[in-house]
Amino acid sequence: MRTFFPVEDLARDDRFNQITMRDRMGDARSVLTSGEAAGKRNNNRLTPSRKDASDAARGLMHGIFVGEIQALEGAGRTCFDFETGTEAPFALKLDMARQAWDEARHVEISIMLSNWMGTEIGQYAENTVLFEAACSSDPVLRLAGVNRALEGLAIDVFTTMKEFGDLAGDPYLEFCEDWMLADEVTHVKMGSDWLRRLTEHDPERRKKALEFQGVVDKLFSYGGTRSDSEESPIGLARRFRELAGFSDVEVEDIAAVSREALDERKAAVARMQAAATLAGA
Amino acid sequence: MTGNVTVTPQTFHFVSFDAALIQRVTESLVSALGLGEHPVVIEVDETTPLARVSVDIGETITIRVESGALEDTRKPRMQSEQATATTIGRVLLRARDRLVGGFGEAPADVDLSLAQIAAWEVYCVGRLERLGIKVNQQRWRYNFRNRHGFSDDADASFDRLWASDSLTWGEFSALGAAAP
Repeated sequence: MRTFFPVEDLARDDRFNQITMRDRMGDARSVLTSGEAAGKRNNNRLTPSRKDASDAARGLMHGIFVGEIQALEGAGRTCFDFETGTEAPFALKLDMARQAWDEARHVEISIMLSNWMGTEIGQYAENTVLFEAACSSDPVLRLAGVNRALEGLAIDVFTTMKEFGDLAGDPYLEFCEDWMLADEVTHVKMGSDWLRRLTEHDPERRKKALEFQGVVDKLFSYGGTRSDSEESPIGLARRFRELAGFSDVEVEDIAAVSREALDERKAAVARMQAAATLAGA
Repeated sequence: MTGNVTVTPQTFHFVSFDAALIQRVTESLVSALGLGEHPVVIEVDETTPLARVSVDIGETITIRVESGALEDTRKPRMQSEQATATTIGRVLLRARDRLVGGFGEAPADVDLSLAQIAAWEVYCVGRLERLGIKVNQQRWRYNFRNRHGFSDDADASFDRLWASDSLTWGEFSALGAAAP
């Protein structure tokens, strides 16, 4: 079996259509700027009071579903890609195997929730950026990028969806998201613990891993989709991040990076919209 | 008789949409719904991925639609004929309900509650399905439940609305579906 699997070769049937972050960021349209022409500040937070709440929740649920598939693939690769002992401790691989088991269960739960919400498998484009973060040749960078950045985002997303289900009175959504959230907190904690242990005597490697995490955190802010601002559909789940082993300073850093990503995305959209308007004039 | 359908813009810069497809789908719906005496204007806002739709009903039916409502969610920025038919069809049915379908005393669109909007959507989409347009009933049931509660009573209201063809606003309200 081959090691270090490229994102292009992930197994998907023809129900799925994969897009890259570049495709996504090349879209000159954005909800982040839709109200600004009228001088209004946007409130895009995903709550049942939004007119498009059901469809927005369905889209986010599908994003969770494909994210779970990629998280499963990433954790599975980490079990296999590195030599036990010399490159990755057996106990780390055992944790990754446990995580793969959790993610597989999350995929099944996500499919059932999608059916419940009226969404077909593959109904929304699959952004493959999550798996790309799991392709590093250093297991420590994978832990930083996947377990701390990606699974950290999952904490934010599940918290938002859990609150949505609670407010809407949807018993299944609230219940399922709560259980998956508990697993995600564990995954982030595993990443934090292993990052500390594996880099205990190697500050340079730790610094590199944390830098990589910062880059991935910014990518996973999805150009402003996740931040403390009400303009972002997904909020930053500070309390659950704390439970998962993030320090206050780390949470503040992520908040700043997310805010920066939001502002950069708004500026990029404004530039693209101006260019498109000129082209149409 | 097929009414006069106008689509703007004719050329898109933010998305890969086809004005001729929008026109063709709309003409087909106008004919099927017997609205041929009314000119229809479709104004697409391609600058936002949101999916809001509004309609002004007069001699001319003017529909303003954001690009997300016509988009293929599998392929961002590409158009979906099915989404186009479902979106335009829902709005045309609402217009027909107000013009000739016994919904004359219904509040203006801006005064409708989210629960009333969800119920009217169900009434429209059920009829679109019977016109042969492919829809996912569970999507609309989920939206209805979000507005009317996750209960057997709400599901029973949904089923009656979905199966109905010629309700008046009074009957629609009596179904218990129009509660704010």
